[in-house]
Amino acid sequence: MRDYPEGYLSERPSWTTAAGLADLVSAKLTVVGRGLSRSLLDILAVALLWVLVTYIYLWYGHKIYGYTVIPWWLFGVLTVELGALWGAFGVSPAQRLSGRRLVREDGGSPRLSQRVVYWLAWHVSVVPVLTLLVEPPLHERLSGLRFERVRTTGAAPIPWYRTSTGLYTAGVMVATVVAAIGVTVTWTNLQRLISDAWRTAKFWQALVSPDTSILQASFRDLIVTVFMAVMATTFSVIVAVPLSFLAARNLMKGPLGRIVYTLLRGTMSIVRSIEPIVWAIVFLVWVTARRAPFAGLLALWVHSIADLVKLYAEQLESINPGLIEAITSTGAGRLSVLRYAVVPQIINPYVSFTLYRWDINIRMATVVGVVGGGGIGQRLYSYVSGQQWSLAGTVMLMIVILVWAIDYLSARLRAKLA
Amino acid sequence: MTDAYLRIEDLTKVYERGQVVALRDLSFTVAKGEFLVVIGLSGSGKSTLLRCINRLIEPTRGKIVLDGVEITGLSPSRMRRVRRRIGMIFQQFNLIRRSTVIANTLTGRLGYMPTWKAMIGLFSQDDRERALENLARVGLREKAYVRADELSGGQQQRVGIARALMQDPELLLADEPVSALDPATSHSIMQYLEWMNRERGVTVLASLHFLSLARRYGTRIIALKDGQLVFDGPPKLIDNAKFKEIYGEDAEEVEVR
Repeated sequence: MRDYPEGYLSERPSWTTAAGLADLVSAKLTVVGRGLSRSLLDILAVALLWVLVTYIYLWYGHKIYGYTVIPWWLFGVLTVELGALWGAFGVSPAQRLSGRRLVREDGGSPRLSQRVVYWLAWHVSVVPVLTLLVEPPLHERLSGLRFERVRTTGAAPIPWYRTSTGLYTAGVMVATVVAAIGVTVTWTNLQRLISDAWRTAKFWQALVSPDTSILQASFRDLIVTVFMAVMATTFSVIVAVPLSFLAARNLMKGPLGRIVYTLLRGTMSIVRSIEPIVWAIVFLVWVTARRAPFAGLLALWVHSIADLVKLYAEQLESINPGLIEAITSTGAGRLSVLRYAVVPQIINPYVSFTLYRWDINIRMATVVGVVGGGGIGQRLYSYVSGQQWSLAGTVMLMIVILVWAIDYLSARLRAKLA
Repeated sequence: MTDAYLRIEDLTKVYERGQVVALRDLSFTVAKGEFLVVIGLSGSGKSTLLRCINRLIEPTRGKIVLDGVEITGLSPSRMRRVRRRIGMIFQQFNLIRRSTVIANTLTGRLGYMPTWKAMIGLFSQDDRERALENLARVGLREKAYVRADELSGGQQQRVGIARALMQDPELLLADEPVSALDPATSHSIMQYLEWMNRERGVTVLASLHFLSLARRYGTRIIALKDGQLVFDGPPKLIDNAKFKEIYGEDAEEVEVR
């Protein structure tokens, strides 16, 4: 080693080291990604409007579901072509979103001939992705145009109805609404909404004439529901608090930490996206219907954990790192830093989120009961399916009073904590 | 410079995989009892330098020797023992906002306590008395049981000083201690630092924005530019030409009285 001049080893080409290679690959990927996304976004925008418009045309005109009218290959070619034209000759959505425009090398706005060259060269440059690897890409070199960030000037912006993207957005919005109406609303069910209202009269009548004979039994179920919510919340807090530290990006550093963070956050969002009612069905099968409240409890527990981990972890991610520095600099150990720098910043939000989740769990506990998860919800469901309307009405009133009371209580408590 | 208390050798800090170089082969020494002021533009590496000294930030390369002990490469537990003698105060004060002033002051003793006592907040009677003493020293005795976020900026910084005093520091790192304060309060805070330096013999490293404050309180000034040392000497040697070199051609000196 001593024979080499100092710094000899550091003069290796950067791509021979793992970090340098990773940097190089990510730089290239960024270039390709940017080039592709610029074009893809415009193409997708064109495709979206085309699909929406033809869908509406087929549905209202021919009463069939269909999407493109033209063959798929033609649809593909047309949208790609229109997207390219939009990017070359207009101000496309991708250009607006990235805040960049096509400009000449000297900064002026492009001439028509340059735009044509840009558009023609685009086909040989972007369609076979590989040529995007050079920066600037081929079509930008040939036309002498490049993407530049637009500087905001003092001039008034062009109103939306005079820009292609503005008109396009308005078109998509209108088409979406029209298509959505086509899917969900028909003339007959609109009529029935008015003409068949009397069918529910019995239901409303029963609701205002409660049957008090089941009050005591229902009250017992109500308490089961509240206990389900309380226990689900308590047990989920016990699991969610430690997990939240592993799911906070700012606390999980290093490669191992990043893996744990990603896995945990991913799992939690999957669990959270499955509704408690589905979890209840899963657990009813699992622990058998004989222990119905237990299945409901498990369903709420699992969903609450996932929800609370996300809420807690986001709170952890927003703490002030300065206090951690301050406590660390006094020579405090890791646990002390947690106790004096992290906990004081999260304790109130944690309690607040827990109360909020408890509030949700009370409402969810009744819903979970409907599928057989025990408590007041199950009782309500059995009355409704037996068409015992006045009994159902009594139970519903009780639920309303409970939910209102809990709502009020939790709101008051949370206001105190803020 | 025989009695170099703090010696920095070829200190380099590179962020984000070589994208940003915050410090570039920085070397200097500090004698015991000096009031060293670090000046330079925002982003010149002042904060990074101070945080490398107590290893809140791990240096990429280089050596830091404090009182004969090389602290780069100390194990975490030995580093904590060194850290408790290095006080630090911050631009944004960094207090526990919801806790009382005395609770904040007491956290200065955390480095001297066993973990189990720290966890349940069992501070000794002696520590409590010293906390009140130190609060009295910075003129906040009667605010001891007030929540920290109810204090003004200057008062919060004085709590920061009291917290640092609890550590019995030999060295004080002050990261732009007065940047968030008005001029009158700035002087009051700087005078507390001066008092620590003169009466308690604490070596002070303070980064400052205003050259006038640096001239008034520093016994020696170093200037950083792009992570490199561009000036090292007594305050009176910084003339107009030197000033322009540190802060760039367009800079005008602003005075804080």
